[in-house]
Amino acid sequence: MAVCTGCSLLCEDIELTLKTGAISQVKNLCRKGHGHFQALFTERIVPKIDGQEVSVDQAITKAVDILRNAKHPLLYGWSNSALEAQRVGIDLGKKLGATIDDTSSFCQGILMELVLTGKLPTCTLDDVRNFADTSVFWGADPSNSHPRLLSRFAYYPRGSKRQKSYEEERNCLVVDVRKSATAKLCSNYFRVPPGGDADFIASVIDVLDGKIPKYGDKKRMIELGTILRKTEYGVIFPGVGLVYALQDKIELLKTLVAKLNEITTFKVVPMVEHYNMRGFNQLLLDDSGSINRVSFHSGQVTHGPENSIMAAAKICDAALVIGSDPLSSLPFGTAKSLAGVSLIAIDPRRSLTTDAAQVVIPSAMYGLEAGGSAIRMDGVRIEFEPIVKSDLLSDEQILARIKEEI
Amino acid sequence: MQVVVTVVTFRDIFQNEAEKKSRYSEDYRKLSAQITLDKQDMAGLGVKDGQNVLVKNDVGSVVVAVKASEDDSHPGLAFMVNSPWSNQLVRDDVCETNIPGFKGISAQVSPSGESVTQISELFQRMKAQGA
Repeated sequence: MAVCTGCSLLCEDIELTLKTGAISQVKNLCRKGHGHFQALFTERIVPKIDGQEVSVDQAITKAVDILRNAKHPLLYGWSNSALEAQRVGIDLGKKLGATIDDTSSFCQGILMELVLTGKLPTCTLDDVRNFADTSVFWGADPSNSHPRLLSRFAYYPRGSKRQKSYEEERNCLVVDVRKSATAKLCSNYFRVPPGGDADFIASVIDVLDGKIPKYGDKKRMIELGTILRKTEYGVIFPGVGLVYALQDKIELLKTLVAKLNEITTFKVVPMVEHYNMRGFNQLLLDDSGSINRVSFHSGQVTHGPENSIMAAAKICDAALVIGSDPLSSLPFGTAKSLAGVSLIAIDPRRSLTTDAAQVVIPSAMYGLEAGGSAIRMDGVRIEFEPIVKSDLLSDEQILARIKEEI
Repeated sequence: MQVVVTVVTFRDIFQNEAEKKSRYSEDYRKLSAQITLDKQDMAGLGVKDGQNVLVKNDVGSVVVAVKASEDDSHPGLAFMVNSPWSNQLVRDDVCETNIPGFKGISAQVSPSGESVTQISELFQRMKAQGA
């Protein structure tokens, strides 16, 4: 059995046969996971300095030179690295006096902070399978982002308290701007206009209070209120759609969840995208008191939006990017800023970021070529072993060497 | 001819799979460099499914292919898969939370006779202006 590190479900039941250059047989991989495993064979990279192929040792030495001479180094990525590598990365950040941030900074961070600090009630995915009779996917489309969430945990399976078929025992609700693939197969879809989530929450609270809702289709909102009131164990899965819509109004979600818990039981499980984003957030929280956006500059620990990738990219003079492709995933202006600094990319595969990097250090793919551990989207720790032999260094080994040489 | 739309980005498993094979592949470009428009907006622009349009705002511009929406009517609302193409249009001067507006991009759409923007061109824009 292998563990798929293709998303934060970290599916542990993958059976496959690998032959040279291809996957010959596979069981239990979703389309996304299959793509992730196929990535083992495509767009692999070699160590480079200024576009010229070098040895790994030379690339690491050059990375050390860049980081040692930087006044404002930025360490970014982390969500696709194992916990062991993240631990070394945080220690490296302290040693360098660097700013450190991860992908949560521009997606689920503000929500994850509420969960990890106990301000939103949460549960495991096994609890969802065993107890949940209502799952709400809000600004989330697991059919495309976490393809096996519904089949393993949230909708279709039978659980200890959910022995009947899903049509009888589980409600699956979708609140989204777009009629997504998940919305098409769930029992109830509620459309919100872009940015209309705050008004939608206000309407849900109104109907739970027995008032006429101010926004939306009144009849459908009352129907929604009835479903929520009859729920025995509900779970909200907020996606980035909800986070982006609420932003500084994220407290509204807390208010709604508190209201729901006056009536019944409701939990929140953020739809974390990358397989170990939650792991990094937990490690950094335990270490610095903040889940992301931390600076260790001048030996002081500070936290704030000025340390986010969005802001730090504009003021850093060197950046180490690990397991991430910010030049593809971030707004053009931020990507442009990063492309203009001394960039070190540690990654198993080619990307716009490795193409722009002054130093490229190839790494082993976790779960495939390297073992380690990670925190699943619901907080459960998952261990994984490599399934193929590789001479490539893991993120942990590369970072340990950089830290040692510095 | 021009229509003003709010672009909402989303995830697509087929594009994700293509990305895992190669970010530089034709499949990835086809599945990324497209905009889903309401049929009313398409009629207003005089474009059909598969034709190219220029999507631009004060942040940047890209030429992408049109995909006709199969959803209920949503004029003024467009969808793009999250990708380097959509990110050309996303503002980076953000509010206090420092979270970019990936889900509410204001843009103008007009018919285009140009070919779809290549990823190599997007990369050159970053490098040229980042240098």
